[in-house]
Amino acid sequence: MRNVPNVIGLTLFGVLGAIAIFAPAPYDPHERVGTPFQPPSPQHWLGTNDIGQDIFSEIIHGTRTSLLVGVLAAGGALLIGTVVGVTAGYAGGVVDAVLMRLVDVVLVVPFLPLMILLAAYLGPSLVTVIAVIAALTWARPARVIRSQVLSLKTLLYVEAAHAVGGGFWYVLRRHIVPAIVPLAMAQLVTVASSAILIESSLAFLGLGDPVQKSWGTVLYYAQARGAFLTGAWLWWVLPPGMLITLSVLSFALMGYALEARANPRLRQH
Amino acid sequence: MKTKLASYALVLLIAVTLNFLLPRLMPGTPLRFLVGEDVALLPPESVRELLAQHGLDRPLWEQYLRYLRDLVRGDLGYSYRENKPVLSVLVERLPWTLLLTGTALMFSTVLGVLVGALAAWRHGSAFDVGALSLFVLLDSMPSFWLGMILIALFAVKLGWFPIFGAQTPWASFTGWQYVWDVLKHLALPVITLTMTTVSGTFLVMRSAMIGVLDEDYVRTARSKGASELRVLYYHALRNGLLPVATVFMINLGFVVSGATVVETVFSYPGLGRLLYEAVLQRDYPLMQGAFLLITVSVLFTNCLADLLYTRIDPRVRL
Repeated sequence: MRNVPNVIGLTLFGVLGAIAIFAPAPYDPHERVGTPFQPPSPQHWLGTNDIGQDIFSEIIHGTRTSLLVGVLAAGGALLIGTVVGVTAGYAGGVVDAVLMRLVDVVLVVPFLPLMILLAAYLGPSLVTVIAVIAALTWARPARVIRSQVLSLKTLLYVEAAHAVGGGFWYVLRRHIVPAIVPLAMAQLVTVASSAILIESSLAFLGLGDPVQKSWGTVLYYAQARGAFLTGAWLWWVLPPGMLITLSVLSFALMGYALEARANPRLRQH
Repeated sequence: MKTKLASYALVLLIAVTLNFLLPRLMPGTPLRFLVGEDVALLPPESVRELLAQHGLDRPLWEQYLRYLRDLVRGDLGYSYRENKPVLSVLVERLPWTLLLTGTALMFSTVLGVLVGALAAWRHGSAFDVGALSLFVLLDSMPSFWLGMILIALFAVKLGWFPIFGAQTPWASFTGWQYVWDVLKHLALPVITLTMTTVSGTFLVMRSAMIGVLDEDYVRTARSKGASELRVLYYHALRNGLLPVATVFMINLGFVVSGATVVETVFSYPGLGRLLYEAVLQRDYPLMQGAFLLITVSVLFTNCLADLLYTRIDPRVRL
């Protein structure tokens, strides 16, 4: 019973990952392959959009962009978060105080309005979107990793490693980093789930990369052309949103499971 | 409390500095961002004149001081698309955002607390598992998408609610008719925002209550013969509520961010929609003003929540 969410998460991730890698789309999503605004038919399973592109192919290719942004942004956020968290936890004192104040600042800023502002100035591109998401989501992993490092530091075997003459880098590499890897993995997956959601919001607001098809940009055009005011919402609006929901859910469920494994005290609930 | 306040002041300073630096650090003339893209078409001498007029020919630190001085005086620049001072545009939009986010925040907190407590009370039951699954699923949904689906179903198909806006255009309702009109327009955006932000409160409430219901004093209350509902909502809820105050603050950020996209979907005339319109029209002063006001509101509410937290839980000294 306890494993059900984890199995669902992994299965969803496997299916979405396969779609992203093999992209089994019948058409080139950038090519005009039919009459605009077609309802679903055997040729176009989810109809065509306002300029006659195949919506099903758009969504299949969108999987690639959405998952890529999610994983890369989460990777960036985790890298910053780990460096900050380990430094703060290990160094303590003034360094710790300054870094944690920085974390507080990042946590309290209304992130989406700030991202909109940054994306508007920096111009829409996939790299901008990834960098902006990473720059604003690293604070939570940093905080979690810092508290783990703080408790590791007091453990006897770490103290012993110091006592026998182990240097900073040696102790870090041999004892600290391996001990925070499970926690960091959980954070990676959790940040990826919110990164996918944020990317879709930015793309929906028209701030995504206009060249790349993503679920958010499909919904942006659906909104701009009023698809949800006609019957077209059933095939133009519903499917991409469901895929966003399922991929966010998949990462979130894997995150819960990894977190429970990294921190056995959580397992009671 | 002092360190918290200092932290908020720092956030404010960073937001202000970011607003100041962004147009000046981007490639090309900052005039592009202060008076509009049309500046490229002007003859060089007019450009020089404009630069001087905005003080952009001065050293950076002098510009910064001037910028701060204007800000303190409430001068947020001029919106070149709306042809009005930025501040007056913001003041028009602020009440709608406060109405939308305030109502949604209230609903999502109350709903999260009540259902979270019930789920903890029946921990492991079908109700608990069902609620948990539903809230985790809701948490994964993009709010703009949920909004589009709700419009398609309840506004277009069933015609129960209006499709966009905060009031019927060109209608001059008075009294209760006006209130009813506003509420009808508010319903779907609030439902969307509540549904996509409620799970944070629910999850924290649930796990806090599971801990509290294990405590000795709860067992004592039960053995005294207090009814289950009294134990739950009178004895246990009080302490279970404490972490909700923290969640409230985290949730605030999500509600404000969510409101930005939800307002866009429903064409709701709040600050979030304004930010979006400003981005579309490349109206940078307006964009910055909206961002600054959103940040200030979030910080202000955070401060209030902090103060309130020390009052509910005397063990906490901030």
